[in-house]
Amino acid sequence: MSAYEISLLSVIGINVILAVSLNMISGFCGQISLGHGAFYGAGAYAAALAMIGTGNILLALISAIVVGSLLGIVVGFASLRVRSDFLAVTTIGVNFLFTGFVRKQGWLGGEMGISGIPGSGLGADGNMVMILLFAAATIALSLYIGRSWMGFAFRAVGEDEDTAATLGINAAAYKLAAFGIGTALAGLAGGLYTFFTQFITADAFDFILSVMLMAMVVIGGIGSTWGVVVAAIGLTLLPEAIRFVNDYRLLVFGGLLVLVIRLAPGGFAALARAVATRMSRA
Amino acid sequence: MYYIDLAVTGVSFGCMYAMMAVGLTLVYGLLRILHVAHAAVFALGAYVTVVVANATGSVDAGFLAAIFITPLFGMAIYRMLYEPLLSYRPDVPMIASVGLLVLMQDAFRIVFGEQGVTFRNNTYGFTTFDVFGVTVNAVQIAIVVSAVIIFLGLHLFTTQTRTGVGWRATVSQPKIAASFGIDSIKVRYLNFAIGSALAAVAGGMVALLNNFVDPVIGYVVSYKALAIIVLGGLGSVRGTLIASLVLGLVESYGTIFIGRWLDRDAIAFLALIALLMIRPQGFVGTRAT
Amino acid sequence: MTAVLKLEDIAIRFGGVHAVDGVTFSVDSDDFVGLIGPNGAGKTTLIRIVAGMLRAKRGRIVLAGHDVTNDSTASRVRKGLALTHQIVRPFREMSVLDNVVLAAGYRRTSSPLRAALHIDRRLESERAAGILAQVGLAGTEGKLAGALPLGQMKRLEVARALAVDPRVILLDEPLAGLNQAEAAKQVETIAALNARGITVVLVEHNLEEVMRSCRRLIVLNNGRVIGDGTPRTVMSDPVVHDAYVGSGTSAHVEN
Repeated sequence: MSAYEISLLSVIGINVILAVSLNMISGFCGQISLGHGAFYGAGAYAAALAMIGTGNILLALISAIVVGSLLGIVVGFASLRVRSDFLAVTTIGVNFLFTGFVRKQGWLGGEMGISGIPGSGLGADGNMVMILLFAAATIALSLYIGRSWMGFAFRAVGEDEDTAATLGINAAAYKLAAFGIGTALAGLAGGLYTFFTQFITADAFDFILSVMLMAMVVIGGIGSTWGVVVAAIGLTLLPEAIRFVNDYRLLVFGGLLVLVIRLAPGGFAALARAVATRMSRA
Repeated sequence: MYYIDLAVTGVSFGCMYAMMAVGLTLVYGLLRILHVAHAAVFALGAYVTVVVANATGSVDAGFLAAIFITPLFGMAIYRMLYEPLLSYRPDVPMIASVGLLVLMQDAFRIVFGEQGVTFRNNTYGFTTFDVFGVTVNAVQIAIVVSAVIIFLGLHLFTTQTRTGVGWRATVSQPKIAASFGIDSIKVRYLNFAIGSALAAVAGGMVALLNNFVDPVIGYVVSYKALAIIVLGGLGSVRGTLIASLVLGLVESYGTIFIGRWLDRDAIAFLALIALLMIRPQGFVGTRAT
Repeated sequence: MTAVLKLEDIAIRFGGVHAVDGVTFSVDSDDFVGLIGPNGAGKTTLIRIVAGMLRAKRGRIVLAGHDVTNDSTASRVRKGLALTHQIVRPFREMSVLDNVVLAAGYRRTSSPLRAALHIDRRLESERAAGILAQVGLAGTEGKLAGALPLGQMKRLEVARALAVDPRVILLDEPLAGLNQAEAAKQVETIAALNARGITVVLVEHNLEEVMRSCRRLIVLNNGRVIGDGTPRTVMSDPVVHDAYVGSGTSAHVEN
């Protein structure tokens, strides 16, 4: 495998973890989060500091997960106060606050970021394998949750939390759970990213990234694990496969987001289901 | 003196924010949609002002062109993006709006370049006056004066003219207004048209003040406008005005204290989040029911 | 007989108006109560307070022995309350069966942790299918809840309420929007629930059906209880009569 391919697969793996974890929060549970980058970044910075301080991979990953989910639960509490579109705005704010804060802190590298982070010792292909294993585990977890009673309750809360209450479902607890799990995974992705690049700046975790992740969730089909996986892979490969797209990345992502919401709000997963139903009737 | 300087900056920014944010609060009041792409309308206004000014040699021509073109853009956004999505949950059109903003900003980058565009002949931007020892830029004066004129005009329009009164009624009580025979569709287009034109003026002014327009100009104001309309009470024009001035002044003076921890733009976000958590209805205006 | 639901001096104000002004009554196990009153009497507000959607300014609510005055709706449901809404709200994106299965799975969803540990739905699905048959919705299991006609949606609401094994069901205008035949059927279903030991409290404007089925009527007017007794007693009470006639609605007195 060439270095390029290893690198590409690593990025795909990380994006899959990010998109699938966002889908748990926004897809399964209907809590729109346009600031997923902040949790990703929080995890990355935590892992970076841990690696520089101790060089212990396990500690770095655990710190990444813990820091990501702590921030996530705090934001989760915000979701209890405000309705969906304002929650979206709040999460955008969290993202900007995160990058704005990090850029000003000397101990976090400021504008220059943190470089020369000790590697995991696994080598590029070792890292890739680790990333892909975690990605597979994330997919499995998402599929499991989707089928479990937790996923069932998530869907109810996402669709109509007042009605869910009449079924005895404590919406607040489930929202926090969704945020907690989704952001823990985002933090994990951040740790993996740190091993992968050994150099991080706030730019990698900004609002634009969050929009791209939401695009993957929307395009793949909100709530559908496999749909989102396909979208994540596709949207990561697209700029690589088509040079044109790489230069006009935001144009394409923004445009796709608008088109999909406008024409097929259920995303490709819903389209696929509709096609499948039509074919099975034919 | 320094503090008066800051006050001047604060007030002029505040007026600019007000003209920009009014469009946003009007759309929210009418449709309950967070029209994030309004920032793209603002950016378009800025770009058109510069481009036309450079092409014709006249800054005034640039302004006129912007004021004419942006309402068309704004109305098109309503027709193509929001109208079909009105029956969905509010976050659906909002995400689409975010997508549109990202698309437009990148389109500006591609068409006009990463570095942005500058005025070839900035007739106003470099004229300054010395007022009681404080240096005031001609554009700053223009911003404040236009804001006063515009908001007075809006006030008169919505209280003295039939169309204006109908518009105001529709924004605050859509069902009742409809039963009085006020055409809510026309009102919607009017809403977007006026809001967009105002944003264009704000955009043109900012372009003059900074002497350039770059592709990220939209992002910077988009979330500030969001903070403002929440602070001012969603759907309230008067609240937006007050909130805009407050934000302008707080940013001006606030950077002194918070500058160590957060950059200037993040201040607006901090305020926004704090507000949403404490009092989601905002502080000043009354919410349109 | 122990009281399954007790309201003590419930009051709430909106602006300057006392929408509910010191309401006290208690409902015993097996009761079939109709809460009636002219428009604006405060019935809906009272129901929302009992349901947990509004916090009363003063007073206590005791449900099956638990003081639930400060409990959330979900918490009250777990202590024995079930509700149906005036404006039906099924989970439109889910199937009819799933709507009831989720309700039937209330033990599974008591906390996210417990919910995460369980994936099997067979028991609940069987129970749900049985309940759907009881309310006359057999055969609609696979349909999207959002696609049902109103009458069936209302029955789905009752099915969901049944599935949480309630001590008492609170029905807010269960007959609204139904034609005569549908309303009669709905009342039959509700009466059958009561016959099996579930306490029923319903708010209704359709006095004919209410009089026919309820064994006890509580009349509200201007936020206060002005009548409480059997349908015949209550409807022949001149105070009650005045309240209705005054507001333009005529009351039926059945013999």
